[in-house]
Amino acid sequence: MKNYAAIFFIVFASSCLKLDSNLYNNDNKIKEYKFDAYTGEQDFILDASYDITSGKITLFTLASQAASESKATSIKALYLGDINTINSDTVILYCHGNKWHMDFYWQRAKLLAHVNGKHRYGVMMMDYRGYGLSEGKPSETGMYADVNACMQWLKEKGLTSERLVIYGFSLGSAPATELSANSAVLAPAKLILEAPFGSAAIMVQDASQLNMPADYFTDLKIDNAEEIKKVKAPFLWLHGLNDNFLNYKTHGEIIYKNYGGSSKSKFMVEGADHGEVPAKMGFDKYLGVLGGFIRN
Amino acid sequence: MSIFNSIKFFILVVFICILQHCAPSRYVKPLEKTQSAVAFSFGGPLIKFSGAPIPIPFSTLGYGYGLTDNVTVYGNLHSTSLLFANAQADLGATLHLYKKQNVFGITASPALQLAYNIRNQTGFRMWPSLDLNSYFHFNKKPSYVYGGINSWLELSKLRAHGDTQQRHLIPNLQIGYVIVKTKWQHQFECKYLGIGIPNLPGVVDYIGLARKGTFGIYYSLIRKF
Repeated sequence: MKNYAAIFFIVFASSCLKLDSNLYNNDNKIKEYKFDAYTGEQDFILDASYDITSGKITLFTLASQAASESKATSIKALYLGDINTINSDTVILYCHGNKWHMDFYWQRAKLLAHVNGKHRYGVMMMDYRGYGLSEGKPSETGMYADVNACMQWLKEKGLTSERLVIYGFSLGSAPATELSANSAVLAPAKLILEAPFGSAAIMVQDASQLNMPADYFTDLKIDNAEEIKKVKAPFLWLHGLNDNFLNYKTHGEIIYKNYGGSSKSKFMVEGADHGEVPAKMGFDKYLGVLGGFIRN
Repeated sequence: MSIFNSIKFFILVVFICILQHCAPSRYVKPLEKTQSAVAFSFGGPLIKFSGAPIPIPFSTLGYGYGLTDNVTVYGNLHSTSLLFANAQADLGATLHLYKKQNVFGITASPALQLAYNIRNQTGFRMWPSLDLNSYFHFNKKPSYVYGGINSWLELSKLRAHGDTQQRHLIPNLQIGYVIVKTKWQHQFECKYLGIGIPNLPGVVDYIGLARKGTFGIYYSLIRKF
């Protein structure tokens, strides 16, 4: 009888369900990127004054490979700006959130291309593996590898660490924080987090209201609340006070509090839910806050 | 609105949210002395799915034994949690605080909710809980209705990253009806879970009142021996 019980539990322990694969809300059904012509759901749509100058949009493919992987994964990336001047430009590397793909975040990338003036800074973003037209399946290590691949590409074009600003929104706060804390290719000079994800433990405990361990449900290691302790680069935190998904108190404040550097600032946005910070703030004000942070 | 919001992701949060809400009241009315019973329960909080309210199907399997006519001890294994390599069980007792034979009674069910991650062999947790119910027999028939309150206690002072645990009491209300046959019982219960607790973050469309709490429905099949 004991043997049967042992076998029963071993089978359970080795084949049990985990919810990690349910975390990623990737859409890889699109056939092409449409950017301005994209008509799907978007958080906001900018007017024509934010249009990107002809010739400053480059869509390309990168090979991304994590240290633990035997072969590279092909991912799609986008650069807004002049590739030939990356060796002297400041670049904002935008790590998007969990929803969909670069078409959804196109308006945000355009907005960032107007910080401190149109095309004052280059803007790069990518679809993590499994998102949009990037190949592969989403994973935490894969996501970090994908952002690292972008940094490698920027480095090869002449970007240096002191001209790199990394911006993480929602899920994108994980690679932005991780690669600021444990830089491999380039060490970002500044870190911007919008509506960041604190940790898997916070997510579980917010949902359950109990002091419940995260590993009851997930093997996810994302822990921005701890990784931020290693970050020394100046840090800007943006969060909506009405964020009903990643609560600014439980997720955001612990990151801000644990920040390990000496230069941090925050901007809380009245009435903004998750994904609404730029629109509720007003685009001019949003650009002004980012511009001031990057300039200083 | 929510970047994480998706059908797939809601499952993650729902499973977390209802770990503590996955069963109806146990043995509202104690078993008779030396009587034993096995029980299967099924149900959970109501959420909107494709516009329609559905209960999350959580299940438990358990055993109860009547120590006396007024005290029943029980234990239940949460079978759905096991699929996630979490050994979760509740151990408790139902005691008569007052009874008027075949008319009315008040019972209390103190219990311990235990959970442990089998795969990682970490994270043992224990939460005390208490059910207080009163039941009524109409026309002295064996079947009865009941209503009461259930509360979970979080004893930990801290939560993740050393933050202060703000909430220590999670209260729920329940009403139910038990169809009593000679050997079988069918128990139907409706709970209002998390009284006064905002049902945000809004990843899941809970069906609550004024965006607080959520309703849950449950069914138990009990076989007495």
